[in-house]
Amino acid sequence: MPITFEEIQTGHSLPPVVQSYAQPAIDHYALASLDMNPVHTNEEWAARAKVFGIPETVGHGMMTMSTLASVVTRAWGVIGKDGGSIRFVDAKFTKPVKAGETVTATGKIKQKHYHGPGKNWVQVAVEARDSAGDLIGLAEVGYNLPD
Amino acid sequence: MPVPGRLDRYIETEKQRHFSRDFMIGWEAYETWDEATVGQSGPGQRTFEITEEDILHYNRACGETDPLMVDPAFARKHSPTGELLQHPIFVTTIAFYSLGEKGIGTWIRTPGARNPQQRIEISEPFRYGEIISTTVTTADKFTQRGKPYLQMLLDFRNERGVLKARWWCSLILPATRADVARFANA
Repeated sequence: MPITFEEIQTGHSLPPVVQSYAQPAIDHYALASLDMNPVHTNEEWAARAKVFGIPETVGHGMMTMSTLASVVTRAWGVIGKDGGSIRFVDAKFTKPVKAGETVTATGKIKQKHYHGPGKNWVQVAVEARDSAGDLIGLAEVGYNLPD
Repeated sequence: MPVPGRLDRYIETEKQRHFSRDFMIGWEAYETWDEATVGQSGPGQRTFEITEEDILHYNRACGETDPLMVDPAFARKHSPTGELLQHPIFVTTIAFYSLGEKGIGTWIRTPGARNPQQRIEISEPFRYGEIISTTVTTADKFTQRGKPYLQMLLDFRNERGVLKARWWCSLILPATRADVARFANA
């Protein structure tokens, strides 16, 4: 359903995104992003190095950032049918995502930025949690909405 | 260091076929926190030609199912650009391919690095056939609660000099080459 800047209200929720962080999903992301750091893909090295203090592989922070951004792009499109488009993604990571986790990300409209016709945009606050309900990352996503 | 053979099943693109999957090879030449100088700037080692398969593989790895992002034939007919739309975090692939193994910003590959925060700004969509050049600038170097942080600004421009995206890339790093060695040799 088309959404316009005029119609949208702060506090409006976007549908959640659920993403598997099983090892095959992390491996797939490693090849797609070309980030082959062994902390993501090599269980034996990860067990010895304990980069995050745990003896396990973890998902990429950029994979988490992708999941966070997907909350907005799946709701409105990378480029919306009526001219919307993504402006920025500003993400912080609060807890490593161990291989095998399932992450759920949700978003709410936080701010409306009145920059004039054709230039108005909204800021969406997105957060992601693991299967224990712990916060693993959060992001502010800017999106140009049609007037 | 042996790279798990199971990764090979995900190789689909030409770039992936030729990209080294062992980040430990050449770690001795990666830039380290204590060597980095704020303001230092230069080009990435490689340019990146945007192809349909690069975008398709990244979108799939993010779990996308929108046909505008994962169905090239559908996108040719219905996408606003006539091409697959790329996930906004696709610049990650461009950065890891372009920065290479020597010089400014190679700390992005550091074993033992941790990812605290990132900011990506999108100016306009990447288009098939564009040749993307990456400019790397060391933007900040600081400690916080005793941890060493490095931040670089990556500018991604096409062959006409048009800015397509910017990435403020931050990592918490092992501070010295000796610290990196402890992870590399773990």
